[in-house]
Amino acid sequence: MPEFDLIGFLVQWLTVFGLYSILAITLNLEAGFAGLTNFGKVVFYGIGAYVGATLTTYLTLYLNNVDPFECPPYSIDGIVKLIELGGKSPSLSIGLLALSLLAAFIAAGSVGFLLTYPILRVGPAFVGFTLLSFGELMRIFLRHYEPVGGSKGLAAIPRPFGWVGDPRLSSFIFLLLVLGLVALTYIAMNKLTNSPMGRMLRAVRDDEIAALCLGKHVPGIKALTLFIGSGFSGMAGALMAYYFTSVNPDMFVPAVTFNVWAMVILGGMGNFTGSIIGVALFTLMDRLLAFITPALGVAVISPDYIRWMFVGLLIVVVLLFMPKGLLAERPLKTPALDEARKLLVEGGGGA
Amino acid sequence: MLPQVLHRAYLRCPKMPQVSWDVLSSLTVMVVHYSFLYMIFAMPLTLSYRTTKVINFVHSNFITYGAYVAILLNGLYGNRNMLLAMASAFAIVGGIAVLNNIAVFEPLSRRGAKPVALMISSMGLWIFYKYLLYTIIDLATHFSRVNFVSYPKIVYEWIPSVSLDSVRLSSSFIATSLSAAAMIVGLYVLLEKTNLGRAMRAVSDNPILSEISGIPKRTVINLTWLIAGGIAGVGGVLWTSYAGAITPEAGDSMILQVFTVGFIGGLTSLTRTCIGAVLIASIENYGITLLNQFFRVETSYKPFLTFVTLITTLIVSPPLGAGGGLPYRLFRRVGKSA
Repeated sequence: MPEFDLIGFLVQWLTVFGLYSILAITLNLEAGFAGLTNFGKVVFYGIGAYVGATLTTYLTLYLNNVDPFECPPYSIDGIVKLIELGGKSPSLSIGLLALSLLAAFIAAGSVGFLLTYPILRVGPAFVGFTLLSFGELMRIFLRHYEPVGGSKGLAAIPRPFGWVGDPRLSSFIFLLLVLGLVALTYIAMNKLTNSPMGRMLRAVRDDEIAALCLGKHVPGIKALTLFIGSGFSGMAGALMAYYFTSVNPDMFVPAVTFNVWAMVILGGMGNFTGSIIGVALFTLMDRLLAFITPALGVAVISPDYIRWMFVGLLIVVVLLFMPKGLLAERPLKTPALDEARKLLVEGGGGA
Repeated sequence: MLPQVLHRAYLRCPKMPQVSWDVLSSLTVMVVHYSFLYMIFAMPLTLSYRTTKVINFVHSNFITYGAYVAILLNGLYGNRNMLLAMASAFAIVGGIAVLNNIAVFEPLSRRGAKPVALMISSMGLWIFYKYLLYTIIDLATHFSRVNFVSYPKIVYEWIPSVSLDSVRLSSSFIATSLSAAAMIVGLYVLLEKTNLGRAMRAVSDNPILSEISGIPKRTVINLTWLIAGGIAGVGGVLWTSYAGAITPEAGDSMILQVFTVGFIGGLTSLTRTCIGAVLIASIENYGITLLNQFFRVETSYKPFLTFVTLITTLIVSPPLGAGGGLPYRLFRRVGKSA
């Protein structure tokens, strides 16, 4: 039996945990706070991944004096060249990483912004369904679009920290980057939801008509929420492309979206810390399953199916018996609330 | 025949792509066939939504389960009687639908959960049923040594195929059109002429008022689920007589079309759902053939046409009554009153 590599296990688990955390936190912003039932989370994740992968592979070839249109990155020659050239120069790698993250944010965010237009005037069911089917169409398109590799996708995406040399160290630096982005997302979303905009989001979620009557620009706020949420998901997608060093259309199936939904519902809608706990539990379960499955040998029933049945049942059971999830939604943190708390603790009596 | 005369006249037009009569007639038969199939798939969706107010993602499982009831009967017991398969599918899938309602939707709505929570729970059930079916199929394949994961088309006995003046109508077409006609007549009689139908319409129009008037709302909703699930299951059986190969993804692969048809009907009107079925079937099949002829667009892009129709429906005539929704503008017109 091979020796158990604890650090390797932790680095792998935490990287996947980080990627899913960004998706779960932004989904919680959209669904838990703004009431946008985004069943197409995977769309924005996928756009980010493809934008990151395409930019990195094409530019790596181009900046190393290889014509990417004569020797495209999805051909065998291109892949050989990419393995040869990729991740050699620190400045180029870091520059491409930054560029990809930015482009992924803008591309995914813009698609999210534009997709709000057809779904503004219809209820949550139509929103969910439209985004879900858009994801499936994106997959069909990517499968047939040759410049991004068609059904085979893009492979040999140069690692951003490949120039470090030691692969363990480079994946550790990458983990730090992912966790940094998780922290950024968490802090940004917390600031956002504890601001006046956060109150507006909850107002829109709880009663759209009331929010509209109070003069809130409901369509604008929905579009903005989807822009921010999708933008961050796009960045997670770009990081995912670097992590797996390959993308293909079948990575972006609706199952990814449902996974994230299950995490958010388990953790509690409207509570970001809850989402992170949900992600931790789910990704840990998956990692452990990946260890256990080979030990089971050939089974009649695939453990994968059991896992998915469990995910579906979990969503239903949590909604039925624990509708608030593990951690319930908290009131907004405002200066007025702090003042009121202080007064209560001090026994009141007024100023 | 008149269509053939028109077609000959069309062929004389210069600079038009030449479509032979055989291609055109078989395409039209396909459009009619798909229209009937979409009606059978989408009308129960509309029916269940307007009475129960649940956006039911499990609907795609209903179709798949219906198909697999027929397949398991055929593969394990050699059944080739379509009526038997339909009756079993109606009972089993309708039973699943009622079970869903009793176990999940009813407790949730009794607690006052929002429609969004109902929809998310139906999504959870969708995932559960999908992988439950995979498990059942794996077990059946393991014990019977028959490949159920991709099952060929079933040829049912007793159903004839008809040839009409160079146009061949397959036995699947005959079965589908007869079933669709029976369903439409049945639903019409049920909803317009019987007390149960009146009660169903009353519950869908105003649940509170109907309860006050003494209509047993729970029973009506359960019966609605039975009928809706049952019809979708029968649709699945019909699909086994048409599709080239049936996989556990059969229902999921049609979910875009089925829901778009339902949305065109606003999830409230059965008549408009029928029109939507004809519309989607025509746009998909004629549209992709034209695009293929003129621009060499691959036929696998077919769902894009449906999606464009969906988006157009949502923008031009959004189903405002269904599932909330308010008339908005995206950009505020500054300085002008709305």
